[in-house]
Amino acid sequence: MVEPLGDGVFRVTTEDGRQRLAWATRVGSASWVFIDGATLVVDPAAPTSRKASGTDEAALSSPMPATVAAVHVSPGQAVSEGELLVTVEAMKMELAIRAPRTGTIRSVQCEVGELVQPGHPLVELER
Amino acid sequence: MFRRVLVANRGEIALRVIRACRELGVESVAVYSDADSMAPHALDADRAVRIGPAPPADSYLRVASVIEAARSTGAEAVHPGYGFLSENPALAHACQDAGLTFIGPPPSVLETLGSKIAARTLAARAGVAAVPGKIPATQSDEALAAAAAEVGFPILLKPASGGGGIGMKRVADAAGLAAAAAQARREARAAFGDDTLYVERALTRPRHVEVQIFGDSHGHVVHLFERECSLQRRHQKLIEESPSVALTPALRERMGAAAVAVATEAGYRNAGTVEFLLDGTGDDARFYFLEVNARLQVEHPVTELVAGVDLVHAQLRVAAGEPLPWTGRDLAQRGHAIEARVYAEDPEQGHLPQAGRLLLYREPRLPGVRIDSGVREQGEISVHYDPLLSKVIAWGETRDAARRRAIEALRRYPILGVRTNVRFLLSLLDSPRFVAGDIDVGLVESEAAELAAADTTDWSAAAGAIAAVLEARSACAVSATTADPWTTLGAWRG
Repeated sequence: MVEPLGDGVFRVTTEDGRQRLAWATRVGSASWVFIDGATLVVDPAAPTSRKASGTDEAALSSPMPATVAAVHVSPGQAVSEGELLVTVEAMKMELAIRAPRTGTIRSVQCEVGELVQPGHPLVELER
Repeated sequence: MFRRVLVANRGEIALRVIRACRELGVESVAVYSDADSMAPHALDADRAVRIGPAPPADSYLRVASVIEAARSTGAEAVHPGYGFLSENPALAHACQDAGLTFIGPPPSVLETLGSKIAARTLAARAGVAAVPGKIPATQSDEALAAAAAEVGFPILLKPASGGGGIGMKRVADAAGLAAAAAQARREARAAFGDDTLYVERALTRPRHVEVQIFGDSHGHVVHLFERECSLQRRHQKLIEESPSVALTPALRERMGAAAVAVATEAGYRNAGTVEFLLDGTGDDARFYFLEVNARLQVEHPVTELVAGVDLVHAQLRVAAGEPLPWTGRDLAQRGHAIEARVYAEDPEQGHLPQAGRLLLYREPRLPGVRIDSGVREQGEISVHYDPLLSKVIAWGETRDAARRRAIEALRRYPILGVRTNVRFLLSLLDSPRFVAGDIDVGLVESEAAELAAADTTDWSAAAGAIAAVLEARSACAVSATTADPWTTLGAWRG
């Protein structure tokens, strides 16, 4: 059972009578819930797993707001799966964006020094 | 004592220093970037001065802006916190030139200790050995390979101007050297503006044990015992504790004496930390000098709780010319303290740093628990800065009591809006090897799978029910109906 106590606080009572406080809030269609050290995000608008969906768009974009540190490929270049395409940097950490599959680079959509956002593909990959 | 002190930092450490100033009757001046105009440190200080745009290179790393802020507000001293300009001799020099007191070691000491190569030479002079290593004759790939071959694989590539593990690479064999060196140089250049590398032997399962040191301008140097910081991920510390379970009284005595010898040789003043790698446990263990962190450490509260001291008060007093508030004889360790660092990062996505708004943020109030934080509810976590949100520091009479208190605090510490490592910290604190004290610097990586699979209650059904309540509430708000949505939701059964 779930009871709102106000100010984002809830009481959760399990079937065997154990109770825990939970904290929750909503942004857009997503509800963020914290119970017992665990954080859960419930978002009916995003029914698939929040992990990389396997599409090129997800794989070829920075997973966080970041600065482009290096671009290792150019248009027309053939790349194989796992090959390093772009290096981005955020919060003092370098992160490699690698080819999710073998293909040819159609275009490069970023330049060194540019601040890029998640969801924005850094390169386009032809099949 | 100073009348007014400028704090050249942001986040939790800026708040920590601002509060210490207030406790001593000293006025504080905060500096902030455009991203931080409403950040807690900018709001909490007695005065706040804008020093530039969000990127650190244009604000918190600009020596001239910091000095100008101090001058314009009539501050007499500058506390650099950690990170940013704290160990950059340029700020210490500029303070000296501007007639300001730099709350830290003299610039010449920062220069020596800032070079890991010079620091190793200094430690050797003090009779303290470093991990076997080699400074390559030149910075060419060939010279690095020769140095690596002489030291023997596996090796660590380290930036000479480094810190915090940035740009540090473990290389298993000669084949991986060139690629690792290229990446280490790039990261070192970006972070420190210097891509000089050196080679060190990588030990098997060493512990990271460091000693807090403190020197004053009256010739006194003391140590305030050890902190063990073996739980690290990618050389970033996650959990720190004091005392270290690996130390016997005799070994503690030897390591403390070695740390004091290094500090004395360096002419060290104010708070600092001598880092060691510990090979083995007990009286026969060997320890190797790593480096000196010439500043207050992130994990300083662990020492404060166990030794019953206030290191920031002492920093201010010593910088103002007072003698150390304690002698070695006054100091003792009592009980056990454990610190867990809460980061805005997603353990399920390779611990990627997260940015965004803290939609809900509530700190627990529990016995024996101290929380040092630099964020607030509705505050923005920026991509520009370190993802450290706060530190949960728990004290207990025993290690297990401290551990249980840290766990309870994290279980009641809701942070919503950005992903955090809270669940991951709980898995670490609960892992059999941490409970047994059987830890080393490779534990987090070697136990990654076990930690990720740690048995936890599945709260997804409860979360779904709460989400339904929230959704009904927002629908209710939109339609402005007076119906009570709670009564129509029914009971959730888990």
